[in-house]
Amino acid sequence: MILNALALGMAYALVALGFVLALNASGAVNFAHGGLVVLGGAAAVLADTWTGLPGPLLLPLVAVMLGAAGMIVARVAILPLLQRPPEATFVATIALAAIIEQSLMLTMGSAPRTAPSLAGSGALEIAGVAVGRQPLAIVLVSALLVAAVWFVLERTQVGRRMRAVAADRAMARAVGIPVARYVLLSLALAGALAGVAGQLLGHQFLIVPTGGSGHMLRAYIAVALGGWGSVPGAVLGALGIGLFETFGAAWLGDAWAEAALYIAVLVVLSMRPQGLFGEPAGRRA
Amino acid sequence: MKLRWYWFALLLLPPLLAPALPPFGQRLVILVGVYGLLGIGYQLVFGQLGALNLAQGALFGVGAYAAALAAPTFGPYAFVVAMLAAVVVAAIAVVPILRLRSHYFALATFALAALVNLAALHLESLTGGANGLVGFAAALPRGLPLLAFVWICLNGAVLAQLKFLTPRRAEAAFLIREAPLVAATLGINANRWRFRAFVVGGAVAGLAGGVSAAVSGVVSPDATGFPIMLLCLSSVVLGGARHPVGAVLGAAIAVCLPEAFRQLDGAWLLAYAAATLAVVLWAPQGLAGLIDGPEPRPLPQMPVRLMPSTNGKRIVLRGVKKHFGGVEALAGVSMEVGRGEIVGLVGPNGSGKTTVLNVISGLEPADGGTIELDDRHIERLSAPVIAHAGISRTFQSPLPGEGRLSGVARAVGSGAAFLLFDEPLAGANAQERAELVMLLERLRVAGYGVLIVDHDMALLSKICDRLVSLDRGRVVG
Repeated sequence: MILNALALGMAYALVALGFVLALNASGAVNFAHGGLVVLGGAAAVLADTWTGLPGPLLLPLVAVMLGAAGMIVARVAILPLLQRPPEATFVATIALAAIIEQSLMLTMGSAPRTAPSLAGSGALEIAGVAVGRQPLAIVLVSALLVAAVWFVLERTQVGRRMRAVAADRAMARAVGIPVARYVLLSLALAGALAGVAGQLLGHQFLIVPTGGSGHMLRAYIAVALGGWGSVPGAVLGALGIGLFETFGAAWLGDAWAEAALYIAVLVVLSMRPQGLFGEPAGRRA
Repeated sequence: MKLRWYWFALLLLPPLLAPALPPFGQRLVILVGVYGLLGIGYQLVFGQLGALNLAQGALFGVGAYAAALAAPTFGPYAFVVAMLAAVVVAAIAVVPILRLRSHYFALATFALAALVNLAALHLESLTGGANGLVGFAAALPRGLPLLAFVWICLNGAVLAQLKFLTPRRAEAAFLIREAPLVAATLGINANRWRFRAFVVGGAVAGLAGGVSAAVSGVVSPDATGFPIMLLCLSSVVLGGARHPVGAVLGAAIAVCLPEAFRQLDGAWLLAYAAATLAVVLWAPQGLAGLIDGPEPRPLPQMPVRLMPSTNGKRIVLRGVKKHFGGVEALAGVSMEVGRGEIVGLVGPNGSGKTTVLNVISGLEPADGGTIELDDRHIERLSAPVIAHAGISRTFQSPLPGEGRLSGVARAVGSGAAFLLFDEPLAGANAQERAELVMLLERLRVAGYGVLIVDHDMALLSKICDRLVSLDRGRVVG
C-alpha cells in the first residue's frame, strides 16, 4: 500500500510539476492542464492500437505528442493573453479544457479506457516483499523525470532562462531573452509531463473524458499548498495528496477522504493565504 | 449604467411572445430566464469585481435542493427558501476566504463547490444520493406562471443592477478590479464589496436553482456539478461580463444553441466553448459589448470646488522604521505635515521617499515608530480606514488609458484633507506641469495638507512651504 500511495503521489507530482512550470512561465493558471493529462491517456490508448509497441516505448511517443499539444495551448490561450490580467488566461484555458473534454467525448465516447501498462501486471518479490510491477515502474519513471526537470532548471542555461522568465517577464525581455519562445518551451515541457502522467495514471485508473478537472484540482491544490510557483513545493504537495488520498480512503472511505482534502485546503488557505510554505517569488504588485 | 433601447426587445419579447409558443418553446424561455438569473448574479462578483468565483454553480445547486426539499411544506414559497439557503451557505463560506487574491480565491471557491457536490452525492438521507430528489414539482408553479415569475425576477435583476451601478459605484468596482491598491487608498473597502457581491450573487443563483428544480422536476447531484459552473462562466463571458444584458444574451445562446445542433449530440458544448475562447481572445467586452460598440470609460474629473470633507489638523511621524529583509528602507524618520502647507519630500533614488508614503497610507506596516493624525495613532490601521480618516494618495504610474493628473483628481475627489503625491510630474508635459502648480496653490488656499515627492528641485522649491530631504532612510534636512 505504501508503494501504491507513493506511485499515485509521484504520478500526481508529474502533473503538478507541469502545472507549476506553465504557471511560472505565463503567470497564470492553465486550467487545461488536467485536460492534457486525459489527452495523454487517450494518446497512449491510440498509439497502442496503432503501433502495438510495448508500454515503455509508447511513453516517449506520448510525451512528444502532448508536448506538441502543450505548445498549441500556449499559442492559442496563453501567448495572446500575456499582457492581459491573469484571469483572462484562466477563463481562456477553462474554455480550452471544455474543448478538449468535448472533443474526446465526441471521438472516444464516454466509455472508460485503460492505457497499456509499463511493466506488465503482477508482482515482483524483492527481499521477501511482494511489490507491484506497475506501481514500481511509475515511481521509477516519475522519479527519473522529476530529477531530469530539476537538472534542466538548476544546471543548464535553458533552465536558468526559464527561471528568469518565471521570476520577472519584463526584466527577462529587457535582458534579451526571447520570452515567447521560453513560454512555448515551458508549455511543451508541461504538456509532455502531463502526457506521461496521463499514461501512467491511465493504466491503474480509467481514462474518462471528464477526468480532467479532477487532475487539475489536485495539481492546483498541490501548488497552492506547496507555495505558489515553488517547484519542489509542488512535488512535495502532490506526494502529500497521493499519500493522503490512499491512506485517507482506506481509513475514512473515498468520499470522506476527498471531503477532508477540500476542507484541509480551505482551512490552510484561510489561515495562511500565502500557502503552507509561503510564496518564494514574493507578492507581485 | 445605461441600456440601449434595442436590448429591451431581448428582455421583453421572450416572455410576451411565450404564450403563443408550444410547451417545449415555453420551457426554453424559462431556461433562458434561469441561466440569465444565474449569470446576472455572477456578473457582480466576476464581471464587476473581477473575482474568479467558481462556486456560483454550487450555490445554484444548493438552491435547487433547498427548493425540492421545501416544496412539499412551503409550496411556491420554496423559491424564497432556495434563495435563503444559498445566501446562508454563501455568507458562511465566503468570510474566511475574502482576503484571498485571484488564484487562491478561485481555488478556495473551487474546493467549496467540490464539497457541495460531495455532500449532494453522499448525504443520502437529505439529498437522495446519486438518484436525487423527485416528486416535489407538483407543489411548485410550472408552465406560464413559472415563466412569468422567472422573467419578472430576471427583468427586476437587470433593472436593479442598472440602478445600483451609478458612475461612482462603477468607478469603485473598476478600481477594485484593476487597481486594488488605488482602491484601498481611496477608502474603498474591497472585502466588504466582495462579501456583498458574493452573497447577493449567491441569492440570485439560489433562486435560479430553485426555478430550475421546478422546471425539470428532478434534482440530482448534477445540479451542483462543474458543468453548470462552466455554463455560467462561459455564458457571462460570451454575452459580456459587465454588460447589463450580457448574462441574458449569453444564456439565450446557451439554451438555443443545443437546439440548433440537435442532431450532433454534444457538439454544441464544443461550439460554445470555442465561441467563449474566441470572445476572450478577440472581444473581451463580450458579444453585447461588441454590438453596442466601444464605450470609453469616463475619466475622473477634478472637483470644481476644492473642499476637504474630513477633519484632522496634522500628520506627525516619530521615528518611523521600515526594513525589507536586510535593507533598512526607513531608519527612524520623523517629520510632520500640517493643513494648509505643501511639504516637498526629496532625496536620491532609493532614499525611502515612496516608502514614507506607503507607511503613512497603510500599504506597508511600519516596523517601528508612530504615525499620528492629530491624537489618533494610525500606524496599525488598514489603508481604507486611513483613507476614511482623511489621508489619500497617488501612485507613480497612471492607470491604463488615463492621463498623469487623473490619479491626482481621484485623490482630491475623495475628500481627504491630506494628500500624498508620488512623483505626479514624472514625464509630464508643460501644460500638465502648469495645471499641477496651479492646483497645488489652490489646495493650499483651500486648507489641504500636501506631501509631494518629486525630483524637480526647482519646481519643488518654488511651490513648497518646506522641503524634507531623505538619504538612505534618514531625514538629513
